[in-house]
Amino acid sequence: MLTAVKGKGRHTSRTMSMRNQLRVCLLSIQYNIMREMINKVTFLTNICFMILNNASFLVQWVILFQLKDEIGGYTLKEIMLLWGLCASSYGLSHILFARVFSLPELIINGKLDAYLVLPKNVLLGVMTSSTNTSAIGDLAYGLIVASLSGFQVKRMLLFLLFTVTGAVMITAFALLLGSLSFWLVRMELFGDQMVNVVISFATYPDGIFKGAVKTLLYFMIPTGMMVYQPVHVMTDFDLKGLLVVIGYAGALSVAAVTVFYRGLRRYSSGNLMGARV
Amino acid sequence: MILNKLGIQRSLKDNQLAENSWVEPIGYNLRKGRSVFMRKYVVIYRSVLMENLQYIGNIALGFVSYFIFIFVFINLWDYLYAEPGMRIAGYTKEQMIWYVMITEMIWFGSRSEAVVGQVTADIRGGNIAYLMNKPYHYTLYILARHTGEWCIRIPMYALFAAAIGLTMVGEIEGFGLLALLPSAISIVLGITINGIFKLCISLVSFWIEDVHPFQWMYDKLILIVGTVFPIEIFPAAMRPFMKLTPIYTVCYGPAKLVVDFHMEQYPEILSAQLLYLGVGTSLMFFLYGKGVKKLYVNGG
Repeated sequence: MLTAVKGKGRHTSRTMSMRNQLRVCLLSIQYNIMREMINKVTFLTNICFMILNNASFLVQWVILFQLKDEIGGYTLKEIMLLWGLCASSYGLSHILFARVFSLPELIINGKLDAYLVLPKNVLLGVMTSSTNTSAIGDLAYGLIVASLSGFQVKRMLLFLLFTVTGAVMITAFALLLGSLSFWLVRMELFGDQMVNVVISFATYPDGIFKGAVKTLLYFMIPTGMMVYQPVHVMTDFDLKGLLVVIGYAGALSVAAVTVFYRGLRRYSSGNLMGARV
Repeated sequence: MILNKLGIQRSLKDNQLAENSWVEPIGYNLRKGRSVFMRKYVVIYRSVLMENLQYIGNIALGFVSYFIFIFVFINLWDYLYAEPGMRIAGYTKEQMIWYVMITEMIWFGSRSEAVVGQVTADIRGGNIAYLMNKPYHYTLYILARHTGEWCIRIPMYALFAAAIGLTMVGEIEGFGLLALLPSAISIVLGITINGIFKLCISLVSFWIEDVHPFQWMYDKLILIVGTVFPIEIFPAAMRPFMKLTPIYTVCYGPAKLVVDFHMEQYPEILSAQLLYLGVGTSLMFFLYGKGVKKLYVNGG
């Protein structure tokens, strides 16, 4: 009886702690955005120009579809969906967890110290400590393009779900590569390059790639599960395909978190003095 | 005593030099002045070049993105050129892929920290107040740095592009050594024009806090419209307008000369580039001149 009460108490305290942690993360993101909003003109210009910037890619596809009606099994509508999903996943990831993309810099310069002394989860503290303003434009662009490609409630709900899984995948991939900086040097450049590779492939239909490259895109780098498979599920619903995407996002996240904490054991602080304002 | 002697000797030498310069023709002095004027920028260029030579490994890491971009386009054009011998907008498959490779080589190879990051940081951070008093013109100092950066990157990317092209695409039909020199001149002019225009955008930081959005738009104009497709692929009504944009002088002109060289087209491309160079340089000096007048020194 006493054990059961103790167990229940521990469970309640863990739930409270998780809720507390989530609150801190949300507040951190909120303050990041508020900080960026100090100069409203710059804030809005960044968002609007990013939407325009992404929209310019449509010109490329309009021209390509003048040459052929379908490219790699995709029509313009599916390409818009592909682009929308890629932009919104990238955007969501850079709104919530922008710092992950500069993790190697924190590790190399010994700047993780500031997060290690906080009485909260280190990884979540690092991840939510920065926001990229222009990423709001990416997210908005993704949602606009997805709506324009043929609005359906079911498809839109799937799009939102896949935006979350896509953001989880790209964040986990960047975290995994960034965490390798605990062991290797120059990972910041390699990590950046690999994230660019994911995005470069994600904006072209998978039908144009053949053989080993296609396998690579689905299993080695997360492009396939981040955008290709979700677009296939959205155009032709398949529950198995949906579960595979969710499972892949979960597995990649677990792998990335494990590598980060393994690496953190090797972390040695720098003697750099600095102030966090 | 010895010092005194040396001092006398030096003053005698100075006097001799002064006397010599008195009798030298005016043209000689002008040339000398010009060479002194240029020498400081050559020293800046050389120091950046030496600095960048230390980071060849980092530059080579950039090949990953370049390769992926080209790889995607090889697959895309493979798909679109369904039949052998097919031509799109007058280009063979090989020419079309080489076109993208050359324009992307210019694009990746001329990415510069000096004209974008440094100028913006100098203006926003106030460092410009110190740099503008140095014995050089700030914009020319930045251009010398920019040249030092791309002089390492472009040859590396050119070699890499040639290696990918020859192994994965094949030779360019009708490409001869005759086309090499005019194309190289055109590429250098294209990179310089691009650097000047990006510098002009960065100079807008004197008035606007964050100019990154304008850099994105310019980059996208060049990247999407200029590097991916030759002008001939666009509707006929749009082509004359596109010739007036930097796309023609930065990307299309140099790449066209490499993939489909015609001597009669060369003067047209070259004169357009020289015109753009003149207009861009004037705009650069104008923006800088106006901008520094707006500068406030807050101390610190």
